[in-house]
Amino acid sequence: MTTTAPAGATAPPHASEAPPEPRRRRSLTGGGALFVLPFLVFFGLFLVWPVVQGLWMSLTDASLTLHDPEFVGLANYAEAFGDPDVWSSLGNTVVFTLISCVPLVVMALVMALLVHSGLVGQWVWRLAYFAPYLLPVTVVTLIWTWLYQPDIGFGNQLLTSLGLDPVGWLSDESVAMWSVAALTVWWTVGFNFLLYLSALQSLPVTFDEAAALDGAGAWRRLWSVTLPQLRHTTVLVAMLQVLASLKVFDQIYILTKGGPNGSTRPILEYVYDVGFTGYRLGYASAVSYVFFALVIVVSVVQLRFFRQEG
Amino acid sequence: MSSAPLARRPLGAWGPSPDASPGVGRRRLFRYGAAGATALLTAGPLAGCASPAGSSGPSSLKVWDLFQGGDGMLMDEMIAAVSRGADGFHVDRTILDWGPSYYTKLAMSAAGGRASDVAVMHLSRLAGYAPGGLLDPFDLDLLAEYGVTEKDFAPAVWKRAQHAGTVYAIPLDVHPFIVFYDKDVAHKAGLLDPSGRLAPMGSPEALLDAGKQLAKATGHSGILFGHVTDTAQSWRQFLALYAQTGASFTLPDGGPPKIDVEAAVKVVTFMKQLFDGRTNPNNLDYNGAMAAFMDGRGGMIMAGEWELPTFRKSGIKNLGAAPFPKIFDRPAVYADSHSFVLPHQDDPDPARRREAHRYVAEIIKQSLTWASAGHIPAYLPVQARPEYAELDPQSSYAAAAEIAVLDPPNWFAGAGGNFQNRMCQPLQSALLGNTSAEKAVRQMVREADTLLRQPNPVA
Repeated sequence: MTTTAPAGATAPPHASEAPPEPRRRRSLTGGGALFVLPFLVFFGLFLVWPVVQGLWMSLTDASLTLHDPEFVGLANYAEAFGDPDVWSSLGNTVVFTLISCVPLVVMALVMALLVHSGLVGQWVWRLAYFAPYLLPVTVVTLIWTWLYQPDIGFGNQLLTSLGLDPVGWLSDESVAMWSVAALTVWWTVGFNFLLYLSALQSLPVTFDEAAALDGAGAWRRLWSVTLPQLRHTTVLVAMLQVLASLKVFDQIYILTKGGPNGSTRPILEYVYDVGFTGYRLGYASAVSYVFFALVIVVSVVQLRFFRQEG
Repeated sequence: MSSAPLARRPLGAWGPSPDASPGVGRRRLFRYGAAGATALLTAGPLAGCASPAGSSGPSSLKVWDLFQGGDGMLMDEMIAAVSRGADGFHVDRTILDWGPSYYTKLAMSAAGGRASDVAVMHLSRLAGYAPGGLLDPFDLDLLAEYGVTEKDFAPAVWKRAQHAGTVYAIPLDVHPFIVFYDKDVAHKAGLLDPSGRLAPMGSPEALLDAGKQLAKATGHSGILFGHVTDTAQSWRQFLALYAQTGASFTLPDGGPPKIDVEAAVKVVTFMKQLFDGRTNPNNLDYNGAMAAFMDGRGGMIMAGEWELPTFRKSGIKNLGAAPFPKIFDRPAVYADSHSFVLPHQDDPDPARRREAHRYVAEIIKQSLTWASAGHIPAYLPVQARPEYAELDPQSSYAAAAEIAVLDPPNWFAGAGGNFQNRMCQPLQSALLGNTSAEKAVRQMVREADTLLRQPNPVA
C-alpha cells in the first residue's frame, strides 16, 4: 500500500506522459516487493495472524492450560460487558489518558519553544529534557518509587519541610493516578519535545521576520505565526500521545500493580491478569477486542476532529 | 568461483533475473518466497526441539526453579553437592523470575507436554496445577527406595502436597511469615523472657502494648509492616490472624466463599488498631519497612523468614526471630512451601523419571544448606539434626511449620496468584484508613466470590 501511494499521488499530472509509467511500475513490483517481502512475512505472522487468532479465541473458552477450546459464541463479550472490573479498568485508562495527554503535549510545546527561543546553553536543556526518555521503564519506576516513598521519600520530605502534610502518593486512591501521570510526563515528555523542536527548527523564518517587520510583538508572532504553522505537528503529537497513553501498562504494573484498591489498574493490566495469571485466554481476548474497538473509535473521532480543524 | 553460474542463474535464485519479464519474476519470487516461509515454519519447531539436548547433553536433568539472589546461590551449592561422585547428577538448571509469570510459564510448558523434568512450585499453587493434569504424580515407592517417605514430613504440609489422595509435590521447606526483632530494643522494652527470647503475647492488647513499648525504646516506631502496593503482605498477616481466631476460610468451586465475616472484621479492626499510624506506621511499602527496621527506626518487623540474610547483612547486632505471635485463641502462622513437582510430560522416559525421583530425594536431604537462608527444612530428619538446632535464630521459629496455614486451595489462590492481590487491595485501604474494617471485609468476600464464579480453566 505504501509503495503505490506516491505513484497514485503523482499520477494525475503525468497522466499524459506515457513513458515514465511502465518503468515505475516495474521497479515497484520487482525490487520493491523483494524489499517489502520480509516485512510482509513478519507482519502477517506476528500481527495479522495473531489478530485473527485472537478474534477466534475471543469466541471460545480457550485456556492457557490443557483442555481443547470450545466455541462459546459471544458469551465472553456478554461477560465482559457485565464485568465491573472491565468498566473500572477502562475508566482508569481513560482517566490516565486525559490527565497525561494534556501536560505531555502542552509541556512539550512549551519546552521546545523555550529551547528554540535561544535560551543560553541550549544543549544542556535539550539533554535535560530528553534524557529521561532514554531510561528503561524499570529504572524510571524504581527512581519514582523512592521519590514517592511515604516515609523517607523526597516528595514527603519536601512537603513536611514546608510544614505541609505528607501525601500518600501511591497509597491514596485519589492521588495514585496523578502520581503515575507525573512519572509518565517526566519520563516521556522528551519525545514530544523533540518532535516539536525539530518542527520549530524547520519552520521558515521568513514569516516570523515579516511579522516582526510589520510590528508584531513576540506573543503575537507566537499565536498568529508560529503556533498555526505547528498545527500538523500538534495533530501528530496529540494522536500519538493519545494512543500511547491508552496502552499504558508497564509503569503502572511495576509501580502499583494496579493498586491501591484497583484505582490505577488499566484495562491492559486487567487483560494480562485475566489471561496470564487467570489462564482465561478466551475471555482476555474478548476484553482486548472490546478495548481494540474503543481505540479505533477514539482514533477515528480524533482524525475527524483534526480534519475539520484543518 | 567462475562467473559462469552467474550467466545462467540457478532456478532457485532470489530476485528477478535480468532477462525475465517482470511478471514471471514476481510469480517466481512469490512461489519461492512461500516455499521458504513454509520451510522456516516447519524447521523452526524441530530445531527448537533438538537444541536443548544438544547443548547440555542428553542425560542431564532439566530443572526449573525461581530462586535468585541468596537462595539461588544456596540452590547452586545443593546441586553441586548432589552432582559430585560417580552417581552424581548432570543438572541443567533454569532460573526464572519469581512471580505470576513463573506460574504462567510453568503451566504453558506443562500444557505443551514438553516441560522440564523437575520444577519448583509453591505448595499453595498445587490446586491450580494438579487437577488440570499439568503435573504428574510422584511414585512413592520409588521415593522410598531413595529414603524419602511420608513420615519424613509434617502432616499439615504433606496433606497439602496431595490432590485427590495422590502426591504431586515433595516439599523442600516451609517458609512462614514471622517477626524479626532487635533483641536490645526488645530488652529495653521489657518484652524478653528470662532466656532472652521474645515472651509470648497471648492477647491483642499485649501486642498493642508491645508496639507502644518498642516505640518508646526506639524513639521512633514500634512495629513495622510494609504493605503499600504489595500484592501479598496484608493477606499474609490477615490470614495468620484470621486462622488464630479458629474460623475457617474456604473457597468452594462456584462460590460463595465460606468466610466467617465476624471473625474477619475482628481481625481487620485489630490490624487497623495495631497500625494506627502513630506507634506503628501504617503507610510503609515493603522496601520502606525493611529500610526502617535496618535503620533502627522500629523495634520489630512483620516479614517473611526469607529476609533473614538481608537483615544479617545489615549489621543488626542482636537479631531475634520468632513465630508470628499468638494473640487470639490458637497459634497459627501464615506459611508456604517451596516444593518439587514433576511438570506433565506427554511421553516421559522411565529412566529419566527415575532419575528425577532420585534427584528430589537427594536434594531435600541437603536442606540444612537451605536452612542457612532462614527456611525451615520440610524434611524432618534434617530438622532433627543437632546442626539445625544450633542455627540461630532459625531454630527459634521452627515450630511455625507445625502451625502453618496456607492459602485456601483453589486454582486462582496461592503465591503469586491473583487472589492474594485482590485480597490485599481492600486490606491496604483499611490499614491506610481509607475504609472501614466492615467495608474491607465485604469487598474481600465480593472479590473472592467473583473469582469463584469464573469458570475453572484448569479443571
